Amino acid sequence: MKRYFIHRLLLLLPTLLGAITLVFVLIHLIPGDPVDVMLGETAGAADKAELRRSLGFDQPLATQYRSFLVNLAFGNLGRSLYEQTSVATIISARLPATMQLALCAMLMAVLISFLLATMAAKRRGGWIDRSALVFSLLGLSLPNFWLGPLLMILFSIQLGWLPVSGRGGLSHVVLPAFTLGLGMAAILTRILRASLLHVSREDYVQTARAKGLSERQVWLKHMLRNALLSVITIMSLQFGSLLAGSLITETIFSWPGIGRLTVQAIQTRDYPLVQGCILVIAASYVLINFLTDILYKIVDPRITYAK
Amino acid sequence: MRKLTDHIKRAIVSQNFSSRFGLLSRHNPYLSFFLLLLVLFLASCRPSTDDRPPGYLIAGIESYPLQLDPRYATDANSVRIGNLVYNSLLRADEKSELRPELAEHWRVIDDRTYVFDLRQGITFHDGQPLTAADVKFTYESILQPDSRSPKRGLLKPLQSIEQIGSHQLKFRLSLPHAPFVEQFTLGVVPAGSPPSHDARHRIPAGSGPFMLASMESGEKVTLRANPNYWDGKPQLAGLVFRNVPDAMVRVLEFKKGAIDFMQNDLEPDMLPWLDQHTNADIGSYDGTTFQYIGINLTHHVLRNVKVRQALACAVDRERIIRHLLKGIGTKANGLLAPINWAYDDSVQRWPYDPTRAKRLLDEAGFADPDGDGPLPRFRLSFKTTNIDLRRRIAEALKEQLQQVGIELEVRSYEWATFFSDVKKGNFHLYSLAWVGVMDPDVFHQIFHSASVPPNGDNRGRYHNADLDRLLDQGRNTIDRTRRKVVYAQAQKILAEDLPYVPLWWWKNVIVKKPSIEGFVPYPDGDLISLQKVSWRGTPST
Repeated sequence: MKRYFIHRLLLLLPTLLGAITLVFVLIHLIPGDPVDVMLGETAGAADKAELRRSLGFDQPLATQYRSFLVNLAFGNLGRSLYEQTSVATIISARLPATMQLALCAMLMAVLISFLLATMAAKRRGGWIDRSALVFSLLGLSLPNFWLGPLLMILFSIQLGWLPVSGRGGLSHVVLPAFTLGLGMAAILTRILRASLLHVSREDYVQTARAKGLSERQVWLKHMLRNALLSVITIMSLQFGSLLAGSLITETIFSWPGIGRLTVQAIQTRDYPLVQGCILVIAASYVLINFLTDILYKIVDPRITYAK
Repeated sequence: MRKLTDHIKRAIVSQNFSSRFGLLSRHNPYLSFFLLLLVLFLASCRPSTDDRPPGYLIAGIESYPLQLDPRYATDANSVRIGNLVYNSLLRADEKSELRPELAEHWRVIDDRTYVFDLRQGITFHDGQPLTAADVKFTYESILQPDSRSPKRGLLKPLQSIEQIGSHQLKFRLSLPHAPFVEQFTLGVVPAGSPPSHDARHRIPAGSGPFMLASMESGEKVTLRANPNYWDGKPQLAGLVFRNVPDAMVRVLEFKKGAIDFMQNDLEPDMLPWLDQHTNADIGSYDGTTFQYIGINLTHHVLRNVKVRQALACAVDRERIIRHLLKGIGTKANGLLAPINWAYDDSVQRWPYDPTRAKRLLDEAGFADPDGDGPLPRFRLSFKTTNIDLRRRIAEALKEQLQQVGIELEVRSYEWATFFSDVKKGNFHLYSLAWVGVMDPDVFHQIFHSASVPPNGDNRGRYHNADLDRLLDQGRNTIDRTRRKVVYAQAQKILAEDLPYVPLWWWKNVIVKKPSIEGFVPYPDGDLISLQKVSWRGTPST
């Protein structure tokens, strides 16, 4: 087990390196020059060349990449070209907002999907089951950029229950979290419903009922727990899409997180900031996958990580 | 809501709760996972802050200002917010005329020398007196080789600044350079202020009507009224500039009452909705932002002047303004807006006339191969950004040019990619706007042969020796009357030769609560009149 985790931890490094290399190459290949944005229209060619030199952008790409990796090895993500502070400072200021949104979206998705899937599986073919399937279909079909404004109009303008946008107290997070988490809720509902229906036909469930266990105990201890493995896998994979989806959701809801920061950094070609943001997103993603492996063991003690 | 949050937090962490329901037992790991998520979520919530301090005005802005230090500010919101925090020697008024601000008087000694007498008794927000030494420092710090200031190039003609006493300065240029007066609108920072590329959060103190209270990265900038402002304390207690990137969300925030004021950056389609569904006071005012079609003059078809004239005749600007812009534009005949002192009204105009356009194309040697049939005379590409309104305008232009036999392929790109192509000359036609045009010397930057990128913005690679001579002359002539004559000739050449097809001047759209009084719109979108604005009654009405 211990050896497995060390092995997995070591595997994180090439994954992150691959992600950061890809971003480094892509951001430098796409058209657009940060020096033009920094110095504006009126700067002379000599001034632009001088700034390009001082930032190291006149160096070959391989040299820039090497220097980026060396800095990264020492924990230095560089400085933003515009905000003039360290990338780590900017990201650490924005990270709590994104984590709050992602966690809340996940929480909503889990609550909605567990409720719907359990009820749907209990009454298979009934109206709740059919409603759950319609909900899943809608959740997967509605794009965030459409759903977000729709929710704002309904809950903020028409009903006046919630704020339109921005980050603040608990009420501010409801609409963006629902917008972001709806897709995940839809997928989880489908997966969990199917898993529950599958395990309900297993022998051990029949045995549990034959033993005289209450229906509540059968569902909680035998069915739900066994159906959970596939759900956890999907959740960990979906967490990446929550972070990716936050790019759009954060922009719509003026949510000051990493997603919006990444969009802004890409628009202004702030190379160090884009690299830092993607590194953090990629690191979160692989970390969640790593934690998922640990969760498997907790949920299903039969799983062993033998060599 | 806050009480409820605290209650849930307390309940979850209390031993009684968890043991009573057995939630944290090892038999319920998935419930433990729920709780872990819930606790993490609640812990990451922050208390709802009061977004509206009493007496403050909340303005919605599209993008967060990148840099408020006037030595570095280039984006529109940085400049506009910076103008409320920093004073400059001169300031453009609501008619775009330069007026003294920090300067009490100023004199043009000869075509290279300007002398300024500063007002007495002005202090920075930190209480330090503002003197000639601060002004001298501000300009000289930009000229430092390592300053990284985008304004360094603009100050190139500056040879020296001589401080004469504590409140008098003499600026000496290395050559006569009439547009240099625009540089006297640069905000002044205290002597010794470090260059802002050290850290954005150490923004130098200003001396303007508002003081910087806080900057929440990506979210909002809060300014507090300067109680000791030399021109009278602002009537508002302060200003909050809230960054809401999505235009529709800004409109909804206005409807909800969370935003009091917006200027521009709104989809024209939203204005009728605002008018019907809110009590907004909506006004549109003549502006100086000039929208045009840029032309690549190295292209074998487009280098023919008759083709460019045909393009100008084929575009029905009035229809686009009425239907797509909902009236927030005025047909343009050139780069300079009528409010500009150098504007010449007698230039050649190209009203919508598709018949004339067809005739011009025939004369240029591009006859329609099949009359009114589907085959075009020639094909061109048209580049624009992926903003919805820009794409719709491009589609309208495509339709109109098709009427005269020109096939247009519309290509829309993300901004930086689009702009990179434009700078490289990688286009046939594109559309962009010039913002904040004041001095007619802008023609030099855009149309002079020496201004081909990277040395300027002659992106269409236009060359005209007569125009070059006039633009050089206009730059070196200080007397405004003589300059006006020179630029009138330049405008006539440009209107005939059409290196750009003029489209329209955008109007500035102001949306505000009716209880906001005293706002004066500026043609360049400057917000300086917010210093004289006041609330009638309570802010929420």
